[in-house]
Amino acid sequence: MSITYLDAIREAQARALAEDPRVFIYGQDIGEFGGAFKATKNLARQFPGRVLDSPISEDAMLGLAVGAAIEGMRPIIEMQFADFSTVAFNQIVNQAATLYWRTRVPCPITVRLPSGGTSGSGPFHSQSMEALYAHYPGLIVVTPATVEDAYSMLLEAVAIDDPVIFCEHKYLYYHLKADQLPTEAMPVGKARIARPGRDMTLVAYSAMVHEALAVAGELASEGVEIEVVDLRSIKPLDTDTVMASVARTGRLLCVGEAWPWGGVTSEIIARVASEGFDLLDAPPQRLNAKDTPVPYHPSLWAAHRPTARSIAVAARNLLRL
Amino acid sequence: MPSIPLIMPQLGESIAEATVVNLLVQVGDQVQTDQDIMEVETSKATMNVAAPCTGRVERWLVKLNESYPVGAVLGYLEASQEDAVRLGLDNPTPAKAPDDVDGQGEGSAKPQRETPSKIVEPTVRGLPVPANAAGASYMSPRMKARMIELGLHAADLAGLPGSGAAGRVTIQDFEKFVLNLEKSKLSQASTMRVAVADAMRRSWTRPLATVARPVCFDLLLRHRKTCEPKPGPALYALRALAVALSENSAPAGRLIGSKIVHPSSIDVGFAVEAEEGVLVPVLRNADRRPLKELVGPYNALVDLARQRRLPADATGGSIATVTNFGTFGLTWATPIPLPEQTLVLGMGAANRVPQWDEAKGQFVPVMEANVTLSFDHRVLDGGAAGRLLTRIAELLAQPEKL
Amino acid sequence: MAHTLLEHGTVRELPQAREIHVKAYRLMLLARVLDDKFASLYRMGKIHGGVFLSRGQEALSVALGLALRRGDVFAPLIRDRAGRLAFGEPVLDAVRTFLGSAQGPMRARDGNVHYGAPREGLYAMISHLGAMIPVVNGALMAHRFKGIQGTVGATCIGDGGTSTGAFHEGLNQAAVEKLPLVLVVANNQYAYSTPNQRQFACASLADKAVGYGIAGHRIDGTDLTACLNAVGEAVARARAGLGPQLVEANLLRLCGHGEHDDAGYINPKLKTASVGRDCLKVAEKRLIEQGWADAATMAQWRSDAAHQVEEAVATVQREPGPDPYQEDWCALASKHLSEGQPETAT
Repeated sequence: MSITYLDAIREAQARALAEDPRVFIYGQDIGEFGGAFKATKNLARQFPGRVLDSPISEDAMLGLAVGAAIEGMRPIIEMQFADFSTVAFNQIVNQAATLYWRTRVPCPITVRLPSGGTSGSGPFHSQSMEALYAHYPGLIVVTPATVEDAYSMLLEAVAIDDPVIFCEHKYLYYHLKADQLPTEAMPVGKARIARPGRDMTLVAYSAMVHEALAVAGELASEGVEIEVVDLRSIKPLDTDTVMASVARTGRLLCVGEAWPWGGVTSEIIARVASEGFDLLDAPPQRLNAKDTPVPYHPSLWAAHRPTARSIAVAARNLLRL
Repeated sequence: MPSIPLIMPQLGESIAEATVVNLLVQVGDQVQTDQDIMEVETSKATMNVAAPCTGRVERWLVKLNESYPVGAVLGYLEASQEDAVRLGLDNPTPAKAPDDVDGQGEGSAKPQRETPSKIVEPTVRGLPVPANAAGASYMSPRMKARMIELGLHAADLAGLPGSGAAGRVTIQDFEKFVLNLEKSKLSQASTMRVAVADAMRRSWTRPLATVARPVCFDLLLRHRKTCEPKPGPALYALRALAVALSENSAPAGRLIGSKIVHPSSIDVGFAVEAEEGVLVPVLRNADRRPLKELVGPYNALVDLARQRRLPADATGGSIATVTNFGTFGLTWATPIPLPEQTLVLGMGAANRVPQWDEAKGQFVPVMEANVTLSFDHRVLDGGAAGRLLTRIAELLAQPEKL
Repeated sequence: MAHTLLEHGTVRELPQAREIHVKAYRLMLLARVLDDKFASLYRMGKIHGGVFLSRGQEALSVALGLALRRGDVFAPLIRDRAGRLAFGEPVLDAVRTFLGSAQGPMRARDGNVHYGAPREGLYAMISHLGAMIPVVNGALMAHRFKGIQGTVGATCIGDGGTSTGAFHEGLNQAAVEKLPLVLVVANNQYAYSTPNQRQFACASLADKAVGYGIAGHRIDGTDLTACLNAVGEAVARARAGLGPQLVEANLLRLCGHGEHDDAGYINPKLKTASVGRDCLKVAEKRLIEQGWADAATMAQWRSDAAHQVEEAVATVQREPGPDPYQEDWCALASKHLSEGQPETAT
């Protein structure tokens, strides 16, 4: 039996609905239709009255989630695309993220953002917004890269008493498969060594983890052993694991699908440079998408974001320093 | 009766100051809590300032149509002790106030305006940042940290091939090197050895050169036989060097940046071999005392040095060193000056050699030794070094005058 | 407490009219006295940040507060001092918030009108207008999920707030879900300095209700009796399951947008027109006309209110502000997921 990344997300939601009566799901087209990506297929029928279609009102959707959370529910909000969450931005960062700090009332909401690019999706259906949300205090931001993490981190997100921004990658929905769902998992806040190595630390998250692993495989045949770190959570960021890896290898390359300015890659490098300066045998490097909106045309899109090809070039350059 | 200060309130989020447009009460008037006592104008609106408690207006510190910042003391209210306590003002200390203005207009209130700050000049012109982190001399932060940990210097890595960009030594190269060291025969270096190594390494960062000339020692040796106690040959050289430097101290100067720092006193040191290294005791003001007066102190210092019991003030602060490598049978050497010195004068072993005597028309036997001068080539060139050596040779030819 | 019973939309004279008018008036008076105190504390420089008062809106707000009950959800907005007091909020909460006491409900982490006690059903607003509407909707959805019946969610907004996207999304959402939401729009003719002609083009804000498919009511916000009737009816309708209710009340803001504003832009004609009447004076007149109170009694009430306010202020002025060195500086309920503050890492 083969389980896709998307199946895992659906299974996690089904389990959350089954085990906790406080959980409900609210989003556009998620009821009978099962969601734009079928992430809630059959759930409305399985759990009548708890998987609801909302009007196209991202602000109101998130505001509703906060109010429901105040009154004891644990809502999951599905944004149809991460890119549309900007309409809900105010409610996320000013209402949800500040509620506990201002009033001592926790805000246990989960916001699912279908993120990242797929060929042909264009500027408004491709964004990676983890850095924006990580910037605001009061939010947890996670970016599962595997089928197993999509399942276990979503379950944990629902259980966490704070707002969790769950950045699921659209490209991985049907491309990533696993044999079974996990029975145990690493917690939110811990990064995973996806592949151990000794010559360089390659830090990535979400879909980029798979590009990074491809690069590591390719360079292994040349005698270079690259350690790939899958961040899993952006906030909190597992600085310890990254630092320990750089302590082993002395070289750091960070890869992200988002834009360069103020992105996750800059945050990692800032931390390693200030707290682990003496671990570096070469300047830390990063690779991000080009600093333009995400292009529509497949050939432009392929050049816009980091790929195994461009990551390999960057890795080789770093190894030569 | 305590004085309660009247403060300019914060009349809007971005408001920093307000202009006093009208005083609604006069000095001496009795006011009630919350009574409006002053009208002020901000950029947004005209508002009133209210009295914090019942009292008598004691004095105003403001001028009409002048602007005062938020928090400024505008005046004082004379109030009851009870009210002062209630307002938490039991010990009223007047806050910083603009210059006082009383009713008579004596003096003038200066409005609170910042004096324009001077233009700030940058202290760094251009950044001395290497263009890229490559090249044989580049050491990464990790390398530096490891070297500090192991007590190593860049000099210790000389000859270590680097596999990094442009031949730089990477941390992997380094760790391999350190690991290989562990496999070789190792013995502990003494603290003296490590100290000397450090001094020599620091000295070697300068361009050093050596010149030499043979000197005839017959007269010196004959003079020595007449002395009691006998001065060591090195002491003759030391005294000759001191006299020559007192005539012209420039060769012993130090180059710091673009300045030559001249010595303030002719203190000359001499090398004494001690276990595992060399000590350099110093004869202070060696130009001011004749040879026979230096013999005693010299011998005493040699003894103390050999016993490693030199007092702290007996070493350091010398402007040149004399070393007698001839005692080891060496005829030629290029000693390295101490890092803080420009010169080291060396004496080689004396040998009987034939010298052509023009007058006699034949070779005659003489005792001859090489006298070398090693120097920091930034401070002086071969010519100046040669002239100094010639002067020393002259002085050594008249030992009775030393 | 007494409130209207409805019969197909007819407004009946309130039973126990005297009792409810007296109760309402005394709450309005307390709100007014408290507001006046905040204004003078502000002019003494005792308050950090902005001060926003409710002068002119007391009747409307108190009517809403009195119509709600324990178990309902109330998200007041800027000029709801009277409504909060009617809902049961202690005077000390407002005083502590304005004076920055560490013992206030927001622990000085937020200030002026941004205060509340969400666990008591009194939500603390954020500055973005309209944003509280979907939050109240969410609370009502939660009640629905939990099978709690008969509760109402209420929130207030001004004429300016109705222009926001959040207002539209929230009201539409409430209508689609047929939630027992009561939205009270205090049309006080100005949003800060912006007059209505620059805010909306429809004839009346209550007309928007038609667009959302909900009930709309329009009243004279300066008249306490009209407010008690109409707001009470709207709340009762919502509670009876008739869907969201929009109440537009016309009145005039009798203070600056904030105390830093002297409202010099207000059209003087409005001040002398009927919409510019002070609802407190209107209520006084009615009490006297109905023989429900005399001038001496009302003077005593005012004195009682002043005393209550003075005591609260005196208490709070002795309380300490927050200590930054005692703060945990953590915005998460899940402490194990906190990253700590880099600059204090040892």
